[in-house]
Amino acid sequence: MNCEEFANRGMELDSAAREHMRTCAACAALYESTERLREGLRELGMATVDATAPSRVEMRLRQEFRTRHTTVKTRGRVVVASWLLAAATIVLVAGSLFFWQQKRGANLAQVQPTAKRAVVQTAAAGPELGGTLIAENDGDEFALIPGAFPGLQDDTTVVRVQMQRGSLSALGLTVNEEQANDLVQVDLLLGADGQPQAYRLPQSNN
Amino acid sequence: MPIESQERDDVLLKRSAKGDEEAFTLLYRRHQAQIYRFALRMTGHAWAAEEIVQDVFMTLVREPRKFDPERGQLGAFLYGIARNRLMKHLERQPREFRLEVRNGEGEPKEFEIADERTPAHWAELRERRDRVRSAVLSLPPEFRETVVLCELEELSYEETARILECPVGTVRSRLHRGRALLLAKLEMLRESPKRANAAL
Repeated sequence: MNCEEFANRGMELDSAAREHMRTCAACAALYESTERLREGLRELGMATVDATAPSRVEMRLRQEFRTRHTTVKTRGRVVVASWLLAAATIVLVAGSLFFWQQKRGANLAQVQPTAKRAVVQTAAAGPELGGTLIAENDGDEFALIPGAFPGLQDDTTVVRVQMQRGSLSALGLTVNEEQANDLVQVDLLLGADGQPQAYRLPQSNN
Repeated sequence: MPIESQERDDVLLKRSAKGDEEAFTLLYRRHQAQIYRFALRMTGHAWAAEEIVQDVFMTLVREPRKFDPERGQLGAFLYGIARNRLMKHLERQPREFRLEVRNGEGEPKEFEIADERTPAHWAELRERRDRVRSAVLSLPPEFRETVVLCELEELSYEETARILECPVGTVRSRLHRGRALLLAKLEMLRESPKRANAAL
């Protein structure tokens, strides 16, 4: 072993290294110095082997940990609350829109002419008129009663009454005298004031 | 749920990331001492070591997902953060440590050795230790950290290589070179301590 090999051998001291040390004073001195250094380093290591961070570091870190996670939780709650609020707003708006549309539909249906619907009506059209009847009408076959003023169709009602044919003359219609006592069914279109505005003779009378 | 003291680091870290303070405290107590010692031996200052430990664990509080258990142990990860902080500290104060032989006044308590020997022997021991410490602190950082980890922390070459993220051969050569530098510095200190002080 030469001096270079001795220097590069690491800390192991095998027989060849021992032999070299016996013949080379410089390498022996280097070895002694290195051993003293290692001893000094060990002592230095021992001096700080029990060193730990002061407890205030742990306290600060735990405080920071708590603050941070409390903030994160609070932020999370705020985010969740915001989403819930947004969802509630959407539901509210959608619900309002739905009900508004339903109400609008109902209003539209209400403004349709009453004559388009089947109406059950108890007729009380005077002594010459009969009992309760059902009238169905498409609104096209009615004839205006002479002298009647046709009002808005919104407030009209159709009633079917049974009356003597002669009573039709009271509505200003021409009646065959020979059949004046026959009972006939008549659909009357009543205005909002209850006065007949138009009439229709169903096919069964003809 | 109570935490087992043997619970793995990555499990504790996951719990800590979810806000479990107990898990974080356990992690801190498990690793703080080695990080503190490393920082103290690298800087020579208790206050700097304290600051570095705080920075290291603050990173763990703020960015726990930076640690990937598949890449290595948490201890090595913490050493890595500590090294970064140390380098910044050393860059900021490259000449902060001095080579004068300290008489112990104002020294941190951790540097004291409980010793039953005579005062003269104790003083000699202390003086030698101070010289060695000063020599270690004067090493360039890459040699210093290798000497600190291998000689003072007494970690194996493999463990040191993992922490320093370099091959084992590099650790060996840095240690060899570090020892040579230390020998030279100690020789210089022994011969002319005052001149050495002035040089640094």
